[in-house]
Parts: sequence; C-alpha cells; structure tokens
Amino acid sequence: MASTPAPAHLDLPGIDDETVPDRPWIVLVWNDPINLMSYVTFVFQKVFGYSLEKATALMLDVHEKGRAVVSSGAREKAEIDVFRLHEHGLWATMQHDD
Amino acid sequence: MARKRAFIPPIERVRGGFTFNIGDDERQLVTRLLTELSQLLMGESDDPRLVRIFPPAYHLADDAEADAEYQRLMREELVASRLSGITTVNAALQSPDVASEETMIAFVQAINGLRLVLGTMLDVSEDQDSDDIDDADPLAGEHHLYNFLSWLLDWAVRALGEPISRPDT
Repeated sequence: MASTPAPAHLDLPGIDDETVPDRPWIVLVWNDPINLMSYVTFVFQKVFGYSLEKATALMLDVHEKGRAVVSSGAREKAEIDVFRLHEHGLWATMQHDD
Repeated sequence: MARKRAFIPPIERVRGGFTFNIGDDERQLVTRLLTELSQLLMGESDDPRLVRIFPPAYHLADDAEADAEYQRLMREELVASRLSGITTVNAALQSPDVASEETMIAFVQAINGLRLVLGTMLDVSEDQDSDDIDDADPLAGEHHLYNFLSWLLDWAVRALGEPISRPDT
C-alpha cells in the first residue's frame, strides 16, 4: 500500500504550517454500461456494510447522476476502499474533498 | 409426492450454502472462459481488453504520479486476488458439494470480470438492447456469451441477497 509522502517542510515566513496536513479524501464510483445495477448494490453492501436501502440509493445516484461519493476518510482508508471496489470490478477513483 | 417446480433458478441458496443448477456444458463453458481470463491476466499488462479490470485509482491530472504509484503497488495484488478467486470458482464448478458464501462471492467477482472483458471487446453501451443480437455480426457469439454471463450473475446476486432460511425448515 502506498504511504503518504511526508510533506516537504519549508519554514517560510507567513506560511501557516498548520494548514490541512490531512485533507480528507473521497471515493467516487462512476457510472458504466457494463456493471449490473443489482451487482453494484450488492458490492456496496458487502464492501462497506451498508444497508440494502443505502446501497440502493447510492447505486441509483451513480446510475442517474453519473457518479456518487461512496466513502471518505484518510488517504490510506480511501486507497483500501478503492482497491476493494476494483477487486469487484467497479470503476472507482479517489480525490481530495475540496 | 414430490412437488413440481415450474422454474429452477440457475443458482440458489440452500441449507448450508448455494447450489449451481446448471448443466455440465455450462459448467465447462464457464470454467474454460475463466481459464482464458487467468491467462489474459498473466499476460501483457497493457492488453486493451483489460482496461476495465485495472481502472485508474486517481483520475485527476494533478494525481498522475499517485496513480502510477498505486498501479505499481496494487496491480499485482489485484491480479493475485482475481487468480485466486478463479481457482476457487473452477474448483467449485467441478464439485458436487454445496458452495460456501465465500465461494459465491468469488463467483460473482469472477463472472463480472469476464463481463468487463467481453463488454470492453463489444464496446457495450447503456442503451443497448441485450435481446437484439444480429446473428450476422461477427461478434454475435460474444454477445450471446455476455448475455448468458449477465443472466448468471444476476441470479447469483439474487441468491446472495436472499435471507438464509431457518435451519429447521
């Protein structure tokens, strides 16, 4: 698993080095024409332990809006979530939550 | 007297696990396809048929370096996880025993992996009518396979979602 590289520490005057050392990451799942709706719902339940209702709502979001945020957190957690979704063949990516 | 059943699903939850109610021909077909998928996974990593098997993790331009690192570290694990799932599924398809929940989860992942490869080759789109296959199409066979695998996967997911029946029933 990739670890977060240590931020380069520059002691420049006027720069607040307290700024966002660990901005949260979000995990997105994108709509695609191959994955079945029933399968995507199943994967959300299994990977995240979501209820059928929550998993179905997320699946419909992906289907209708083109993508949905399915989880969020620290980089390592997001990367594990992405990997588990990739193991199940879902089109998942991660990015900073801006 | 035995009750007649109108329809037997291809995969169903039974006491202690799951059964495949499919014939030997279908078992062998799935095993053969999964063996081909294993070979594909062990071959050239930039094979275009595998693009959906190895999606990017970081898709933003700023994160290109992070994605290269993810691919470098995780791709091998993704291949290993898929190969081990395929081994589990092929063993289960040749066995008369009831399949465990773990095996069924490996089954849905493996069948979906096949659909990702076939769907990529066929360039399937959302609004495609799956019943409308032109048999003159040189890829008609692949279209039929894709539909067969979709049908099987849907039943497998349905079986996994069914409540476990009470042990005394």
